[in-house]
Amino acid sequence: MNIVNRFFLNIVLLPSSIYERMGVDIAQLKSILKIKLAMDDRRAGSFQQTRAKKNKNPIKLATLGTMLLSLFMGTFFLFSFFVGNDDVTKGTIYFSIYIFMLASTLIADFTSVLIDVRDNMIILPKPVSDKTFLLSRLLHIVVHTSKLILPMTLPAMILLAYYRGIGGVSSFALLVFLATLFTIFLINALYIFILKVTTPEKFKTIISYFQIFIAILFYASYQLVPRLVNKAAIENYRAGDSIFIWLAPPYWFAKAWNLLNNADFGISAMIFMLLSIVVPIASIWVVIKYFAPNFNRKLSMISGSEGGVAPLPKNGKIISSTTSSYLSLVSKWFSRKGAERMAFLLTYKITSRSREFKMKVYPSMGYLVVYLVMIFFTNKKITVADLSYGSNSSKILFISLIYFSSFMLIMATGQIQYSDKFKAAWIYFTTPIKEPGMLLSGAIRAMIVKFYLPLISAITILSIVFMGPAIIPNLVLGCANQLFITAMVGYISVRELPFSHAQDQVKINFIRGLFTFLIPATVAGLHYLIYSFMPVVIILAVLSIIAYWMVMDSIRKKNWSNLISTYED
Amino acid sequence: MEPIIQLKNLVKHYGDKQVLKGIHLDIFPGQVIGYIGPNGAGKSTTVKILCGLISDYDGTVIVDGIDLKTDPLAVKRKVGYVPELAELYDVLTPAEFLGFMAELYGMPKEVADERMQKMLAAFGLETNMHQRMDTFSKGMRQKVLIISGLLHNPDIIILDEPLSGLDANSVIIVKDLISKLAKDGKTIFYCSHMMDVVEKVSDRIVLINEGMVIADGSFEELQNQQGNQSLEKIFAHMTAKGSLNDAADQLMRAFEN
Repeated sequence: MNIVNRFFLNIVLLPSSIYERMGVDIAQLKSILKIKLAMDDRRAGSFQQTRAKKNKNPIKLATLGTMLLSLFMGTFFLFSFFVGNDDVTKGTIYFSIYIFMLASTLIADFTSVLIDVRDNMIILPKPVSDKTFLLSRLLHIVVHTSKLILPMTLPAMILLAYYRGIGGVSSFALLVFLATLFTIFLINALYIFILKVTTPEKFKTIISYFQIFIAILFYASYQLVPRLVNKAAIENYRAGDSIFIWLAPPYWFAKAWNLLNNADFGISAMIFMLLSIVVPIASIWVVIKYFAPNFNRKLSMISGSEGGVAPLPKNGKIISSTTSSYLSLVSKWFSRKGAERMAFLLTYKITSRSREFKMKVYPSMGYLVVYLVMIFFTNKKITVADLSYGSNSSKILFISLIYFSSFMLIMATGQIQYSDKFKAAWIYFTTPIKEPGMLLSGAIRAMIVKFYLPLISAITILSIVFMGPAIIPNLVLGCANQLFITAMVGYISVRELPFSHAQDQVKINFIRGLFTFLIPATVAGLHYLIYSFMPVVIILAVLSIIAYWMVMDSIRKKNWSNLISTYED
Repeated sequence: MEPIIQLKNLVKHYGDKQVLKGIHLDIFPGQVIGYIGPNGAGKSTTVKILCGLISDYDGTVIVDGIDLKTDPLAVKRKVGYVPELAELYDVLTPAEFLGFMAELYGMPKEVADERMQKMLAAFGLETNMHQRMDTFSKGMRQKVLIISGLLHNPDIIILDEPLSGLDANSVIIVKDLISKLAKDGKTIFYCSHMMDVVEKVSDRIVLINEGMVIADGSFEELQNQQGNQSLEKIFAHMTAKGSLNDAADQLMRAFEN
């Protein structure tokens, strides 16, 4: 066990006598925590894909990286101290960002690290009481969180130490601590709530959609807030003018900080002080007392290994007939019979049902929507009249819209070779498939139909309605270019069969990033230049279609020697 | 003799589905119970209730005079459980994992260390003791799991398909171990689909189907009731809907088109 973990372990075990009075077995608590922290260290190592060798470097670097990132985020939070004209406002903003950032980081960590379904089979049959188990889980979270929050709050501490002295820092530290407790239990309560209102099977799905939502929200606030808020208003903003803000915990913490820092002993300040101390501590007690037993039992069902034959869900016929007839229709239109159609259907269905795939691709769709909204927000001058064919603003809008529309598609295409269930790829290797290229082209076609067809249909209709039929040649050119780029991505980067490999983080991000932004942007620029020269547009559109067709055809013709695909066991 | 495990009218629902429909069983010390039944009969559910993984059941479970509902921890201390799926923290080494298990049972460290060393050696894993288990084969993991269930020397041992992934030699060791443990007065609850093993190791066979006990007795007693045939045949006779021969015929007939 490394020194950081040992330090934190000793710290969290300091109030052992209190734990004991709550009915917790200290020896068991300590051994669970020790083992959990040891596993955290190694998981960082296995994340680096170093399986065979015991390489200690990556582990340290990963920890350091996380801590540096937290430090960086913490530096960013400092802006809140330059906003508003009183400490309560500054504090409210700081605590809001802090609680929000911490909560969203923790939600991600909860599912992967902190709530380990194997605990049910390993720890629950042992004589460990629910209280001990839950407390071990909570303290594990505390340690994990501390590794995150100490660097995160460090910049603010330094700033306050400089301007406010020791008193300012220590009162702030106390409230950061309380705010952290509050956040942890907020998340805990959220999890318990989700487990209460829904079935455990749906739990992970809901959490992952929540994570997607948070990621998009982040991006949106990052993009939109600075544009929407007027600078003068920020500097004169005062929190507390509205009654609603009294309900927001960050405001309580800010008020309490103001009380300690500026000796504001008004009645309202005292009330908020009390709230910010009592609420976090009361929530610990509530979670342990009332939720613990239920929580574990419900959690033990998440693993979903209940019984050999789980009763079919009520809505068992999830595959509605309309979807499957739509699917069989488009699969006939867009893919050839045989291996290609099989790959088309397989890819279409797996990408619709795999949580893993959605987690990787759907956030990018959210970013796209945010970005489009942003374009409209910032260009308020665009009117419907401006959209008519030929105006410069319509030109820019049209080009950016059409070249952005492939964003999702390229993201999705870059993902099709990866899956957690890559071992299931044995089906390709044990069946007599002569042309594996058919599998690739089927998979890419499925992605085009799924992620591009609906979007481009909408764009086609909208642009014909607003800009008239004169837009059609440019529309065809833009569309063909997108398909061509996608096919090239497929040709170059998809050299493995669909869903046949474990995710390799570093490699794909680079290639995908390159294709997603650089190439479409370049092509979009060129398209912009020739936009008005109709004959050129038409010729290029034809050429682009031919190029697309040729690339797809050569993907089809890929044989086993062109693929680097091997069965990974 | 006082039964060491008593199940009285054990009932369990999953939603609307009744998985256990009132199981009655008295199990005595030193018995090896072969607990068998088709998929979905309620075997795993019974096991999970006994180990304390499932606590919302109806009926009574009494282990060594202690009601499982009133004092689950006391019961868990007496029970050793070897789960069916290889559920392990595989980034740990066997020494770390087993040490952790021992600490949860509150065993003194010296006793645990010595015992696990001997047990790992017996299974031929002494050289792997300090290697991470993520590189282990299924059989090696299963051996670690078996040790983790026996380490605290429990009176009651629940084995759920303990032979899965083991090679033929290890199977012999485990079968031998089971009969020696029983001779030592341990009670063994053995769940399996492998009828030939159950036939050999258990001195009492409990057959459940659709949440109810449909046969209970020694292999000889079952043979007396059901005709002198193998356990596999008896099992098929009592649980299969329709004839299994027909099913194979139907499968063969599918080629005819």
